[in-house]
Amino acid sequence: MSLPRPQIADFVAADGASAASTHFRLWLVAWVVVTLLLTGGSLIVGTSSIETSLSWLFSPDAQSSVVLWQIRLPRTVGAWFAGALLGLAGGIAQGVFRNPLAEPYLLGTASGAALGVTLSLIAADTAIGGLAWTGQLGLTGAACIGACAAILLTIMLSRGVLETAGLLLSGIVIAFLMSALTSLLLLTRPEMWRVMQVFLLGSTGFIGWSSATLLCVVFCICLLPAMLFARGLDALTLGDDTAQSLGLSLPSLRLTLLGVVTLATAAAVGQIGIVGFVGLVAPHLVRQTLVVTHRQLLIGAPLCGGALLQAADLLSRWVIRPAELPVGAVTACIGGVYLVVLLWRRNRDA
Amino acid sequence: MRDPAEGGSAAPSGSAPPRTEPARRADVASAPLSCRDVSIRYGTHTVLQGVSLEVHAGRWTAIVGPNGSGKSSLLRALAGLAAPRLGTIFLRGRPLAAWPRRERARQLAWLAQASTATELTAAEVVRLGRFAHGGWLAHRESDDDAAIQRAMVATGSLAWAQRRVTTLSGGERQRVYLARVLAVEAPVLLLDEPTTHLDPPHQEDVARLLRQQAHGCGVCVVSAIHDLSLALSADRLIVLGAQRVIGHGSVTEALAGDWLSTAFRTRVDIVEHTGAHLWRPALEPSAYD
Repeated sequence: MSLPRPQIADFVAADGASAASTHFRLWLVAWVVVTLLLTGGSLIVGTSSIETSLSWLFSPDAQSSVVLWQIRLPRTVGAWFAGALLGLAGGIAQGVFRNPLAEPYLLGTASGAALGVTLSLIAADTAIGGLAWTGQLGLTGAACIGACAAILLTIMLSRGVLETAGLLLSGIVIAFLMSALTSLLLLTRPEMWRVMQVFLLGSTGFIGWSSATLLCVVFCICLLPAMLFARGLDALTLGDDTAQSLGLSLPSLRLTLLGVVTLATAAAVGQIGIVGFVGLVAPHLVRQTLVVTHRQLLIGAPLCGGALLQAADLLSRWVIRPAELPVGAVTACIGGVYLVVLLWRRNRDA
Repeated sequence: MRDPAEGGSAAPSGSAPPRTEPARRADVASAPLSCRDVSIRYGTHTVLQGVSLEVHAGRWTAIVGPNGSGKSSLLRALAGLAAPRLGTIFLRGRPLAAWPRRERARQLAWLAQASTATELTAAEVVRLGRFAHGGWLAHRESDDDAAIQRAMVATGSLAWAQRRVTTLSGGERQRVYLARVLAVEAPVLLLDEPTTHLDPPHQEDVARLLRQQAHGCGVCVVSAIHDLSLALSADRLIVLGAQRVIGHGSVTEALAGDWLSTAFRTRVDIVEHTGAHLWRPALEPSAYD
């Protein structure tokens, strides 16, 4: 079958597409520059004035070397990967649910991770000494298992992944139930509140090289299926029926991508606790500045998410020096203000 | 337009027993799309039952019937989007369910009645029509570009190729979605209300386009159409009503059998004007001039 040949010589759509592609490349370069600047800033800024000086940082002093290579660099790198994972998960969640308000914690993953950590702490006899015995990997593992359990329960409750509205409702129900259970457990063990507070508000202060490496590996693992299914997410924007008619298997697409969201969220939450707004705001930052396909969105959202968390980490160390703010509180402030501006602009344009 | 290949045979009503004559089987095998004894139900509600029909290459077939008569449900079943409760649908003589998903998507192009607005550009939406033709990584192929270009030119949507679909009017969007369907370059087009949101001149353009696809390119075009006058410009009609197929055949046969009046359970007055069949509403002229 063939349609009549067009009368015009050049395909103007292709010209427009190449212009959009150049625009996207420039946008990527700009965000890479922002990330490098933030990385430089994060390496320089410490919680006291002496540790913030460049001369001290690059002095032959053994202490400054440890601060730079063993504390600040892994923390900065790890924060970027954690933010990138949340940005990626947010971009995927918004695509799967065709909802710009979707975020990585939507299916109860955050509440599940919190419950997992609480149970792990109780199992380790709740004491701070017990924490050392359990080790960071134990808490990370518990957070991951909790997040996975939450998403499995959500899928079971919604009887599959075909009904997105059912999935969202089930996710909300499971999140409430798990939060309630966590609160009940914490009521019985008030001494655990302080440890849980760090987890619930989020902190990048515990990221070492092992955490940063783990986050990097998980990011690479998640990026591959995200890229493979990105065109499927484009098709999904036209509706379930149309996507299916194009040859897409909706159960495979949704299950795979929800698996990616779970893995990315569980890894990030396991390392830095529950940091809100990054997964919600990062995809919006991309969409506000570019007309993108999901392939471009899923490259751009991690870049924005990583830079956002680095910026929040930097601010958390800077604002009330020598003390530190919880990074989750900073991202909530940045993200909240950004969404208010977005809403104001939308109302103004309407 | 009469279909010489059909020999003027009206299709059976839905309650007819299944036909098993060898000639009928040959028909089923040669028609690009056919169904036998198909029943569609939602829960306990029966939408259609005992539907047996075939649609042909090189013909534009319009599905008409009152609201809730199952036009969209039948199209969704023919597209493989909803499995019928009973019966079998055949694509090129092979049960639809037996086709690999992507291969089937290259054979059947589908247009939904109400496509959701997307943030993608018009060109990206039309490019999705090539989804089943490429691999997962979807490298740009020159064939794809040519098909996209042809589809956008044919629907007159090339001018806004780089605009976000959300910024287009309802009619402009519909033409982009139509271009996406044409870009599949499938031998069977299934279109649910393709003239939705279009003004009358553009409805005419779409009708002309569908006819050109059928007659000029040999495509099997099946569309549910609400507008009776527009539906009567198709080659063949499938008339639905009372949970069954009232009739299936050429427009002349439909008019001779008064299938439309039976389906709508009221007098449907069709007049002929300069060779075209038009529906005349039984409404007196306004008393206020």
